[in-house]
Amino acid sequence: MRGEPVALEISINRETCMGSGNCSFWAPGVFDLDDDGIAFVVDIDAGPEEKIILAAQGCPTQAITLTRDGRPVE
Amino acid sequence: MTADEAAIAELYDNFDAGAQFEGSVAGNVRDPYPELARKRRESPVEGRTMTLFAGGAADGSEDVTQDAFWVYRYDDVSAVLRDNESFSSESVREMMGLVMGPYVMVGLDEPDHKRHRNLVAQAFRQRALQRWDGDLVVPIADQLLDRILARGTGEAELVRDFTYRLPVQVIAGILGLPPGDYPKFHKWALALINVTADPEEGIAASESLREYFADVCELRRKDPRDDVISDLVHAEVDGERLDEEEILSFCRLLLPAGAETTYRATGNFLFGLLSNPDQMAALMADPGLMTAAIEESIRWEPPLLIVSRRATRDVELGGVTIPAGADVVPSTGSACHDETRWGDTSEQFDIRREPQPHIAFGAGPHMCLGIHLARMEMRATVDRILTRLPNLRFDPDRAGTDPHIHGETFRSPTGLPVLFDA
Repeated sequence: MRGEPVALEISINRETCMGSGNCSFWAPGVFDLDDDGIAFVVDIDAGPEEKIILAAQGCPTQAITLTRDGRPVE
Repeated sequence: MTADEAAIAELYDNFDAGAQFEGSVAGNVRDPYPELARKRRESPVEGRTMTLFAGGAADGSEDVTQDAFWVYRYDDVSAVLRDNESFSSESVREMMGLVMGPYVMVGLDEPDHKRHRNLVAQAFRQRALQRWDGDLVVPIADQLLDRILARGTGEAELVRDFTYRLPVQVIAGILGLPPGDYPKFHKWALALINVTADPEEGIAASESLREYFADVCELRRKDPRDDVISDLVHAEVDGERLDEEEILSFCRLLLPAGAETTYRATGNFLFGLLSNPDQMAALMADPGLMTAAIEESIRWEPPLLIVSRRATRDVELGGVTIPAGADVVPSTGSACHDETRWGDTSEQFDIRREPQPHIAFGAGPHMCLGIHLARMEMRATVDRILTRLPNLRFDPDRAGTDPHIHGETFRSPTGLPVLFDA
């Protein structure tokens, strides 16, 4: 796989997510809120990576963790 | 215009929006940012005694002061607001509980806060709010503009004529209050929003609003409608519901939290555009800039510059030990201008700036609930004003005016005297 970009992975902590909707503001189409008001990933390819990084930074409770190849992305 | 609309219009026409910029309420400061920049450089976490209200004790004999540790840098402000275990909202509860009742959400700590927030949050999600945009917010904006245009003079003062009026009408609309109640609701709302200027009248208005909302809740319990009070009385998460006093505190909180901040933020956005005609022209040419322009205006001139917390344990921050029990004041206004995040142009309004999250809405579990509503109101306001008032510009010759953004705690324009092509 040398030379192939390694995909970004998103994980959302459902305990700390407060349902602010900031992630879907910064990266609409990638994130949305479910019926319980908790964030989930709709489509990781729906927006550019920089927007997903802004969404993680903009999460008020830091409930979104981004990793690539097992390492944190900030 | 109906009799009710005329009564509301008269209420606002007689209200001197400028008066609240005097003295203690907003803080009598024209530009706090150079001093905040110095604090970020020289004493980013600092114990201070601050005069809250000069001669403001109940008998007028002495100043009301507060000893607190002020926090100025973005990373430190963010850390305080996110760590709600080390920094409690007890001090907010003490300040606001007297007026809004003991269950006021901004003053709650966990686990009460999360339960309360989950129950009210449903009504304020982006998707839940969409129904109000075209049905409520845009028509209110258009009605206010109809009034301005009907004068046929080609001039307006957009704080008095527009920004001060819109958010209270939006709150009344989303709460589902009967239009016949609007005049008395607006009267109480203005008194409550101005509680720091006139505590006696503000607290009396709060009590009147409590009784009034109790009656509305009772009606909506029996006969639910498509409005936020119906949502609140029927909201249920995991078998939990809000009790009556919680709902009554929350409805009253919506006035300072939802109306005051929004009118100030909207005025600041208009001020930024009017002071930078090239950016106004760019926004009109490319409405795709609107989202970034709204965020930049809130970052550049947040309507509220500080938050309050209280340390629950000894905490080390920026090389300073904050002892348990001490009050802490994160300066979100300073954090929004931090050079380490926004570079050496951090003091400037620039709608083309690369967007990144700011902290004007706070951070952590208490982050502003109304972010999506505020953005919707700011978008509708500026879109309708720029569309319907062509060639909009500051009026350089309006007698006696020196329009500028003013205040140390709350900030908004002293006025927005404008001309347009009628």
